[in-house]
Amino acid sequence: MSSHAIRAGTKQVRPILSTDRHEARQRVLNLYKAWYRQLPYIVKQYDIPKSVDSLKQKLREEFRKNDHLQDIRVIDMLVVKGQMELKETVNFWKQKGTFMSYFKDTVEPKPKDFLSKFLSGHN
Amino acid sequence: MLRTTLIKALNAAKLSPKHVSVVSRASSDVAKKPEKIEVFIDDQPVLVEPGTTVLQAAALIGIEIPRFCYHERLAVAGNCRMCLVEVEKSPKPVAACAMPVMKGWRIKTESEMTKKAREGVMEFLLVNHPLDCPICDQGGECDLQDQSMAFGSDRSRFTDIDFSGKRAVEDKDIGPLIKTIMTRCIHCTRCIRFASEVAGVDDLGTTGRGSGMEIGTYVQKFFLSELSGNVIDLCPVGALTSKPYSFTARPWEIRKIDSIDVLDAIGSNIVVSTRTGEVMRILPRTNEEINEEWLSDKARFAYDGLKRQRLVTPMLRGSDGELTPVDWETALLSVGKVLRNAGSSVGAIAGGLADAEALVALKDLLNRLGSEDLCTEHTFPMDGSGSDLRSNYLLNNKIAGAEDADFVLLIGTNPRFEAPLLNSRLRKAYVHKELDVALVGPKVDLTYEYDHLGDDPNVISEIASGKHPIAKKLKAAKKPLIILGADILQRPDGGALLAAVQSLAASTTPSEGWKVFNILHKVASQVAALDIGYTPGVDKIRENSPKVLFLLGADEAAIDKSDLPEGCFVIYQGHHGDQGAVIADAILPGAAYTEKQATYVNTEGRAQQTLQAVSPPGQAREDWKIIRALSEVIRVPLPYDNLNEIRCRLHDVAPHLTRYGEAENANYFKQAEELAKTAKSSNLSGSPIDVKIKELKDFYMTDAISRASPTMAKCVQAVLKQKQSKY
Repeated sequence: MSSHAIRAGTKQVRPILSTDRHEARQRVLNLYKAWYRQLPYIVKQYDIPKSVDSLKQKLREEFRKNDHLQDIRVIDMLVVKGQMELKETVNFWKQKGTFMSYFKDTVEPKPKDFLSKFLSGHN
Repeated sequence: MLRTTLIKALNAAKLSPKHVSVVSRASSDVAKKPEKIEVFIDDQPVLVEPGTTVLQAAALIGIEIPRFCYHERLAVAGNCRMCLVEVEKSPKPVAACAMPVMKGWRIKTESEMTKKAREGVMEFLLVNHPLDCPICDQGGECDLQDQSMAFGSDRSRFTDIDFSGKRAVEDKDIGPLIKTIMTRCIHCTRCIRFASEVAGVDDLGTTGRGSGMEIGTYVQKFFLSELSGNVIDLCPVGALTSKPYSFTARPWEIRKIDSIDVLDAIGSNIVVSTRTGEVMRILPRTNEEINEEWLSDKARFAYDGLKRQRLVTPMLRGSDGELTPVDWETALLSVGKVLRNAGSSVGAIAGGLADAEALVALKDLLNRLGSEDLCTEHTFPMDGSGSDLRSNYLLNNKIAGAEDADFVLLIGTNPRFEAPLLNSRLRKAYVHKELDVALVGPKVDLTYEYDHLGDDPNVISEIASGKHPIAKKLKAAKKPLIILGADILQRPDGGALLAAVQSLAASTTPSEGWKVFNILHKVASQVAALDIGYTPGVDKIRENSPKVLFLLGADEAAIDKSDLPEGCFVIYQGHHGDQGAVIADAILPGAAYTEKQATYVNTEGRAQQTLQAVSPPGQAREDWKIIRALSEVIRVPLPYDNLNEIRCRLHDVAPHLTRYGEAENANYFKQAEELAKTAKSSNLSGSPIDVKIKELKDFYMTDAISRASPTMAKCVQAVLKQKQSKY
């Protein structure tokens, strides 16, 4: 009975794409490179008021957002989503405004400390 | 006068079942208990005391028999007949509310005969009841509606073949609070019994017989009592409804929030009904230890004052002397600048509606600035042990304890209007038990008889020395109570008075655990303020003449501009534009008691919390948060950011403040009395003892909320009008 429980606990999960960390990392780097190469064309195609440099910075930021992840399956899933995102962007399935939502220019950050919460009326 | 003595009640019980409820309550005093008898209700055996009614016996095992006229806190009338049940071997069904059980009775609450009886009664009631449920305010919370669905017949036999219409009764005008639609009345007489038994105002009654019977005042007269609103709750149909609430909301579209009333020091439990961010009405919530299921009219109807005269934006007094609205940032910065420049020369006065969270935050803030000048608006003598010993300033024997007293001495208080629900307890003890009351102070109507001992304070020392005839009674009493009004302690000889009363209380010989000495406060914040360590009275402010004065909801004009030094900056924080806001240089709008989750401690030392029912209007904020924000602006931030953290601070200051629902007992009566003897002036002055609230018209408007309430103003007008009437 106990051996069964241990087996269940250490059971290998079925991989999505990658079988080890190294492979997952490689996929992430590949996705990053693909985006990176595409950035100059995106600026041109979408006619957005951003420079390639700032897009590079944003790209780095978006990848760094998830740099704490350890689960290979989660990383894989995010890579798949990133690829879909890239495909949509390249094929111009998105519109300018949708792409610009990466840069949340108009969103005001929520007040965090007591005084600004008090002044804005958030409790 | 409605008063049943114990002997009378015992004798009467043998003759008629009418006084059964009285006996069952009184029987606990009788030494030997009679044997229990067994009855069967729906074949379930149940053991009950002799004298228990069928309805009470059924309630013991969770079977509810339908009723209209029966109410557990009122005498039994037995006139609606809705509670008819079948008793085996009895030819007729019996009225369960009035019939005491006999040994071995088999009662059937769901038998064919019972059901038929209920259906018949219901049919008779509905024959003369209008079909106006869609426009009736009781719709949705109507006993008649509910019970006709549950127990009524599924078809009507009522056909008005003569087209004569249903019985109609003219509506009565019984005041600005209660709307009457007398056609809907089913003559349960609950309102009459409440008025004569609990409220002690024998104004309601019946006239006529049979189908001509009417309930009313007979002559054109207002039903004016400080407890009158309770007949609205008691009325099982829509005959008596709330006038201010009429046609405003339906029960199913309302949100109900449990809260606490703060308009007197009793701390009645209430339910605040809200809709669309507005308080629609306030109803009592049952709490046997405080308000039973009643509520005073001020607590019930003053809610419309929460919508008027409100401070909705911060304000600063400009160079032209006018208060101008500003935003919070500006207000906090300029108030902060003034506070920082003043250094430790800051004083604060807390008013009667301040909550414990705001009180503790304000105290922490001022202490950090180096000031100890924190006062409450209502004074209390600080001679002797002052507010150091809690037993000095609490209603030590608790509100519910007043019911068991056998002798009550009221000194300088008019409990009828200062604490209507304490007075209803005293009246209950007077009516049902052998309570004797004596009063030192002006002659007022307490709704029960009492010995008036005059208004000379020296009577107290006379009683203490045993010269006064009442002294014998006080000595002999097993459960005596001395209730001292907090109001008269504001007299210059308040300390001496307190000492005299304390030594008088110590001279009695009460039974074990009984506490004789009691203080009755008038405002909700006082006990919490004294617990936290505020100095009662504003003398300290007058002496120290601070550069900045912080008023936390202080609206009783205890201090005015002439008491303050030239150029003293007055900050007012509160929810109503009342007397405090008038003299203020800066106004910080706070939240009223329905708009914040806050702690209040009632006069018996019971911590309770209000819950937020609606959000504060405009830019008003919760009170402790304003003080917390201000502390950050002047760079002495207080170490709490949310409710839990400030409650932890409350717990550190006084642990009982966060033990909600529990009344923390006070002790050290003896020490308090010893210390009181060391008071500076032990001489009572000869000036007569007076109370501020003598009559009903003084009762309605006593604080910022009720002063802003149009309904309360109408009540005052009604009382004045009634006075001119010849009845």
